[in-house]
Amino acid sequence: MTERGQRNEVRLAPDPVIEVYKRDVDRTLLRENLKLSVDERFRKLLALQRFAEELRRAGRAGR
Amino acid sequence: MIDFEGLLKALRDGGVEFILVGGAAATAHGSARLTEDVDIVYSRGPENIVRLASALRPYAPYLRGAPPGLPFHWDVETIRRGLNFTLTTSLGSLDVFGEIAGGGSYESLLPDCIDLTVFGIRCRCLGLDRLIQVKRAAGRPKDLEAIAELEALREERGLS
Repeated sequence: MTERGQRNEVRLAPDPVIEVYKRDVDRTLLRENLKLSVDERFRKLLALQRFAEELRRAGRAGR
Repeated sequence: MIDFEGLLKALRDGGVEFILVGGAAATAHGSARLTEDVDIVYSRGPENIVRLASALRPYAPYLRGAPPGLPFHWDVETIRRGLNFTLTTSLGSLDVFGEIAGGGSYESLLPDCIDLTVFGIRCRCLGLDRLIQVKRAAGRPKDLEAIAELEALREERGLS
């Protein structure tokens, strides 16, 4: 990954609503993504988009 | 489908000053969520508006969701008179913001950006903490899951 550090630190206090949503986040997916380069993350997103598009097409054809 | 590389290349080659925000920025930070558009914040400087108009013109920008035939011209005057545009282009959906809720302008976001090289193209991307802050400030219920994921990413990266 080619990335330069963030310059300013932003303070983020915990938000109780967000904390509830956070329980359902699949962190295994995030850990896998964090092993990838930025290019690889975008290529994965493209593959996901292609899959979603194909599923939509199949859904339309099946109706 | 979005041609990420094509869009970034068009903006870079056109010399446009922009910051990648939204779902694409989240992807850069490691998000596993599917996004179907690219969101950018552009500088409202007069020269940059000229560059933005020129850079996107070859890709037939049109207002997303507007009925066909609406008199919409992607040019300097349109950008000057407007601020935020949700566009379809031949490279995919592109949201072009002069300002974003909770974040303000290009200049105000600039100190909280990181420099990325993606597909060999160097661009600015909103940093993870500011991305979370902006989404929190926007206060949209639909963003709650995305914010939770970004905050989890922050924890996984050992930033919290």
